[in-house]
Amino acid sequence: MESVLEVKGLSKKYPSFELKSVGFHVDPGMVMGFVGRNGAGKTTTLKSILNLVHPDAGSVRVFGLDFMENEDVIKQQIGYAVGGVSYYNRKRICDIVAVTKMFYENWDDSEYKHYLNAFKLDENKKLKELSSGMKVKFYLTLALSHHAKLLILDEPTSGLDPVSREEITDIFTKLAQKGVAILFSTHITSDLDRCADSITYIKNGELMFSGNKSEFIRSYTESMGKVPSLEEIMVFIEKEEVVL
Amino acid sequence: MGKLLKKEMKLTASPLSYWFILFSFMTFLPGYPILVGGFFVCLGIFFTYQQAVEYDDITFSALLPIRKKDVVKAKYAFVIIIQMISFVLSALFTVLRMTLLSEAKVYLVNQMMNANLFYLGFLLLVFAVFNTCFMKGFFKTAYRIGKPFIIFCIAGFLLIGVGEMLHHLPGMEALNSTSGTSLIQAFVLLFGIVIYVVQTLISMNSSERNFEKIDL
Repeated sequence: MESVLEVKGLSKKYPSFELKSVGFHVDPGMVMGFVGRNGAGKTTTLKSILNLVHPDAGSVRVFGLDFMENEDVIKQQIGYAVGGVSYYNRKRICDIVAVTKMFYENWDDSEYKHYLNAFKLDENKKLKELSSGMKVKFYLTLALSHHAKLLILDEPTSGLDPVSREEITDIFTKLAQKGVAILFSTHITSDLDRCADSITYIKNGELMFSGNKSEFIRSYTESMGKVPSLEEIMVFIEKEEVVL
Repeated sequence: MGKLLKKEMKLTASPLSYWFILFSFMTFLPGYPILVGGFFVCLGIFFTYQQAVEYDDITFSALLPIRKKDVVKAKYAFVIIIQMISFVLSALFTVLRMTLLSEAKVYLVNQMMNANLFYLGFLLLVFAVFNTCFMKGFFKTAYRIGKPFIIFCIAGFLLIGVGEMLHHLPGMEALNSTSGTSLIQAFVLLFGIVIYVVQTLISMNSSERNFEKIDL
């Protein structure tokens, strides 16, 4: 089966941070959790994938096509959302949609209505009137209404209450069952317990693991002397002594 | 590009960018530096950029299925449209001042710049300065608006000052005549048109190149 997203050797050097040759792949219907501490390089990686940040090296292939050479074609089939960001805050949902839909060849009004109802979104509301969870649902609606086959989501659950987080992760599971591939970054490990099939772990800009979730847990079972939770693994990997 | 321009006008634009076109009516003001009207039109456009930064419009636009450089083209197209509406209005009001209102008492003694071809030429120069200082400056980062706007304010007011001063110099009185037959005025208008077109194109090309390079 061909990967939906294939990232190879992605590198980017900043004065105080370096992303070091990150590579992984996401298959159709897969929910991949992209994990790491704040500042580990998750957003830089996601933005590099989307050419918002220019990587120094590496390649990104989406649906088998080189991203740089087929950017506009590929973007017709992907959706991107960032938790905590509000595009066009004072505009009504229907106004944002009326403009956005012009750009997508596959825009489907019936799908849009379907997700609007499913997520209980009122299209006459302004974006600033939506809660953080509802905003994420709105961005998902935008992506799914043009039949996006790959969703790239940067911390979509950060700042959400536990109920909203569970709702969003349930949505991810259902979308994956429909064949949508999802790559979402997070540092909230309980979200991954619920919905992720695979994990890509990044520490200080360096890839530590990319593969099946159960394999990831198994790889730490021996060194930790028990079957650890994802949270315990993250603490085990990241904990540093604070010298006061 | 057309779709992106629609997006600019419907989603990104601040209503003030449209309302501030009305400052073109300053062309009618007697005893006032009427070029300031052109500055206010540019200030109206600045409000759109303030809003664009608040809305994270640049990232949203860059994620749409379009070529990245078209984002820059659409933003310049929006600015040019606002400036041209203002210019056409100012030109109409100038014609009115030079014909029907030429004998109006309030305009007979005017120490400040009269509405004539020289004024229209300088109006285009004010717009050219905005496109060079602010637009090009903005696309160096795609988020910093303060510094390029301050540079425009300084350069713009210097230009307005020069425009207001020139016709007071000995031998330059013709610049302020309202007869409509002054060759030197026609030359200044032509100069304004050429500078506006050339500077806007140079600024847009440079912004396209910068926008491709910067990390969002």
